[in-house]
Amino acid sequence: MTRLLEVSETAAPASEPWIDVVVLVLILLGAALCLTAAIGLLRFRDVPTRLHAATKPQVLGLILISLAIALSLRSWPVVAFLVPVVLIQLATAPLSAHMVGRQAYRNGTIDRSTLYADELDDSRSTPPAAGG
Amino acid sequence: MNALLVAIYAVFGIAALLTLYRIVKGPSILDRAVASDVLLTEVLCVLGAEMAINQHTRTLPVLLVIAGVGVFGSISIARFVARRDGDRR
Repeated sequence: MTRLLEVSETAAPASEPWIDVVVLVLILLGAALCLTAAIGLLRFRDVPTRLHAATKPQVLGLILISLAIALSLRSWPVVAFLVPVVLIQLATAPLSAHMVGRQAYRNGTIDRSTLYADELDDSRSTPPAAGG
Repeated sequence: MNALLVAIYAVFGIAALLTLYRIVKGPSILDRAVASDVLLTEVLCVLGAEMAINQHTRTLPVLLVIAGVGVFGSISIARFVARRDGDRR
């Protein structure tokens, strides 16, 4: 860890001013995506629609901020830290969204009048092992 | 440059406040789970933004640990929440 600090902090300087502006613009875009997720959480109606707002803009915002960190520090060990962070986030966001959405369907926190098609309705009304 | 920094702080703050409002207000526990997941990812974004602005690497392991552990919160809530906590089914 100390070696990582040494490497990155010796590699960090010699910064041109336009790179700093690019970094700040990328961070601002990521923050705007976080704000989009929060507005979606506030305005949407039930749990599955809120999951839309919760999962997608957050991951894109995190990718933009990771790009900003890599551009700001400009060293390969930092990139080697950031790639697993983004990959883990990409892998676990659909996982938790799937679990929460399934539980929302089961315990009725879903607004059924807004569904166009309910593909799970058959398996919910027929009991298992009923032959259909 | 400075105006961009102020805009970044304001946008992060407003997003956190809106998410906190949803955690406090949210009708069911699943809404709160989703909102707290969003708030955790926003903490991740704020730590990363602070690291990029101040040009240090001290919070990189924190970033990795939060990204790895943060998923268990909403999964365990979704796993062990009561089968029906609303009034309609």
